[in-house]
Amino acid sequence: MIRVFKRTAWVVVLVLLTALVAVPAAYGQSDGNGEADEDDKLVFTSGDDNDLDSMNPFVGVEAPAYLMYSLNYDLLVNFSTEDLSPSPGLAESWETSEDGLTWTFKIREGVEWHDGEPFTSEDVRYTYQRVLDEKIGSYIDYLSLIDTIEAPDDTTLIIKTKKPTTQLLSAYVYIVPEHIWSKIDEKELKTFENFPNPVGTGAFQVVEWKKGQFFRMEANEDYWGGDPNIDEFTYRIFNNEDALVQALKAGEIDFADTLGANLYDSLENTSGINVNEASIPSFEEIGFNTGADATIKDSDGHPALKDPEVRRAMAMAIDKDVLVDRIQRGHATPGSTLVPPSIPFYHYEPSEEEVLPFDPEAANQMLDDAGYEDTDDDGIREMPGGGDSLVFRYFVRSEENSTRNASEFISGWLKDIGIGTEVQALTDSKLTDVIYNGKYDMFHWGWYPDPDPDFILSVMSCGQRPPDGIWSDSFYCDEEYDSMYQEQKTLLDLDERAEVIKEMQRMVYEDAPYVILYYDKNLQAYSDEWTGFVQQPTDGGDMLAAYGPFSYISIRPASAESGSTDDSEGISPAVWIAIIAGVVLVAVVGTMVRRRVGEEDRA
Amino acid sequence: MGARRYLLSKVLQALLTLVFILAFNFFLFRVIPGNPAQILARNKLLPKEAVEELERDFGLKESLPRQFQLYVADTFSGNFGISYTFRVPVRQAIAERIWPTVLLVGVSTILSTVLGLLIGIYGAWKRGSAFDLSSLGFALVTYSMPEFWLGILLLIAFAGGVGVFPSLFPTGGIETPGADYTGLAHYTDVLNHMFLPALTLALAYIGEYALIVRSSLLDVMGEDYVTTARAKGLREGLVLRRHVVPNAMLPTVTLAALNLGFIVSGAITVETVFSWPGLGLLSYEALRAPDYPLLQGLFLLFSGAVIVANLIADIVYGYLDPRVREA
Repeated sequence: MIRVFKRTAWVVVLVLLTALVAVPAAYGQSDGNGEADEDDKLVFTSGDDNDLDSMNPFVGVEAPAYLMYSLNYDLLVNFSTEDLSPSPGLAESWETSEDGLTWTFKIREGVEWHDGEPFTSEDVRYTYQRVLDEKIGSYIDYLSLIDTIEAPDDTTLIIKTKKPTTQLLSAYVYIVPEHIWSKIDEKELKTFENFPNPVGTGAFQVVEWKKGQFFRMEANEDYWGGDPNIDEFTYRIFNNEDALVQALKAGEIDFADTLGANLYDSLENTSGINVNEASIPSFEEIGFNTGADATIKDSDGHPALKDPEVRRAMAMAIDKDVLVDRIQRGHATPGSTLVPPSIPFYHYEPSEEEVLPFDPEAANQMLDDAGYEDTDDDGIREMPGGGDSLVFRYFVRSEENSTRNASEFISGWLKDIGIGTEVQALTDSKLTDVIYNGKYDMFHWGWYPDPDPDFILSVMSCGQRPPDGIWSDSFYCDEEYDSMYQEQKTLLDLDERAEVIKEMQRMVYEDAPYVILYYDKNLQAYSDEWTGFVQQPTDGGDMLAAYGPFSYISIRPASAESGSTDDSEGISPAVWIAIIAGVVLVAVVGTMVRRRVGEEDRA
Repeated sequence: MGARRYLLSKVLQALLTLVFILAFNFFLFRVIPGNPAQILARNKLLPKEAVEELERDFGLKESLPRQFQLYVADTFSGNFGISYTFRVPVRQAIAERIWPTVLLVGVSTILSTVLGLLIGIYGAWKRGSAFDLSSLGFALVTYSMPEFWLGILLLIAFAGGVGVFPSLFPTGGIETPGADYTGLAHYTDVLNHMFLPALTLALAYIGEYALIVRSSLLDVMGEDYVTTARAKGLREGLVLRRHVVPNAMLPTVTLAALNLGFIVSGAITVETVFSWPGLGLLSYEALRAPDYPLLQGLFLLFSGAVIVANLIADIVYGYLDPRVREA
């Protein structure tokens, strides 16, 4: 028995020794070939913390999903890189009739879908018609004024609208191929994965997607907007921001997006890495329950918050500069109105008389004057005539630590004007639920509005209040505001439209259903081996994933040698084999020696 | 005869626990506030009719006893519903992620038990020596270190590269995206990606094994039969191997089985740190949503795994220790 074992053991040792020498040698050869192929391809890799939720452009809502759509598909009318104004997309040019009701788009000729089928105006008609017929949630608002759509020939699209509108020029609707989507009926549309092989007209096409890990897109050499310089784009998901930053430092990825302020600051002076503080249309706000009981029976918002004077006083108790400094580490600008300043054409900045400055004393005075007095001397005011205390449920997001940190400041400041808070952190879905049912007093959340202000303005309209609407989270409702909202949709003169939109912002600022805390920035860092980024808008905008594929088409290595990332991270196969073989060897020899000793013992 | 009865009773116990878990799981996920169909629908902007359709699809319109009946039937046919976030059957979502975790947890368990055992045995044998003292210190430090923190430290040191040290290992994932390696190159790619997470998990548990083995060895070494063995004139190595270690193994077996549950929870944090696409990361993603059907499936799987591991430990115990199976 023992002898047999000994013989087998020697054979194992012999085999292992041979493997130790032979396999790495054989592998070394094939390895060389493999890497040569790898190096031929120019791959750009970006990293972020979130996967896309669906490759189906009628379903996905997450930011990475929109990134994938913007590369895989095209819009009829693009947002220009300079200032996000309408610029040619799948439509080369367009004109309107004098009454503003008929739009004629000249559709680009010679464009092909990724599968080689020709793209025509009929595909656009089909996509828009489908959105209208099935009232597809994320798109319907852009097309709501359309009456009829016609495609008389392959390069002409005629749209008639119910009212004069410029809505069609900022329609954020990706065009899908009729020959594929017409086979998917209404029921299947919600669950259709559109993967593998999502066919679009875009500059790239998805070739691989490992959920939760990465997706890869290959360049479309025949893209009408130009052949991208890179051959491939990889989007990698990191579930941990430290790992993301380490990957950038180690050269595993070329670009790190949406970084936290701490890590961004740590990268600012790292050699080989450039940073960009992109101004994006994004803000964070404290939202109030201004009267959910108007539409929801069993809602329970605090009555004091129906009073604009209370909300204004609260706005004046919050020191936005401190929040910018301490929460965003300076990477933000203090907030004011609904349309962010990164959309300068429509942004309204309150005048000196209108502005609600940080002034706790004045805020206290306002509350005193309005009859909210501390009748029981506990430091918290009561409703006029001595009713409920002004103690508000204040929800922050468990997914976003900065909201929790901000609440510590804000609660303190509100205490200074005699308002109590009960801070509680909720998950986003739970918070959505609470808001939808009107069971809250105030919350901290944010928005990332479209380049066109229509959507963010709609959030304050009466029709968006749950349960009939979806997007209102303050239950703000004002008839005058609503009529202006409808009016701005129909103004063909953009300056006139801007006037109305500014007036709407002024109104919301004064009524304070939101206190907009700050406009945040997208903090980005990238390897200096790359160049050719296209910022959108040109003045301090996002370097990568803005509204369109522009940056991805133009990025290129900074020099001939750089750019190709070192793919072969880690220990080489030969070394691994040596290590494993070595361990097994030691184990086998060790056992043999022990057996020997055992024999002697027995003897 | 006794052995069979022992085995039978243990299997029965395990089955009973499983039934309890099954029922518990059902009620746990129904006392969580919020209407799942509504949560699902509003996030994705569905109209009211669609919400009602969803409620029908998910069986939320049925009475509670009927729901339980359906749930049990579904569970036994392997149907755990549709994941909210991944929009595929829960079974599929789990199947896609199970092997990376089995690999990671398997390798780190083997590493930590084997190394922990060796360290513990040697430390106890050479009690008070420099090796014993330093290994004791090492064990206490790694045992008390949170896995995710240890993981981030290792990540920064060995993946990001510190100072003059180059980055040795990848920062995350299970393979190099887009490399399309095959054969040996693929295995080494995975091995490289696995190195740091496996090391983290192994380090976190080596200490515990070393400590437990060491102390139970010290207990046994004080027993009379060890003194007798020595008195018989047996070599020290033989006393250790024949008389001390087998008796000291018993608590280690229990520990290994019990630890499976902790390793899974450790895998949640370690997989998140290293973006390792396993069940731990899946649990994290499911919790973030929250994705109730997926969580329910994962809970069931995890508790099932712990029950099975304990059953195996009981059986192994029976073989190792005749007193147990005869009792």
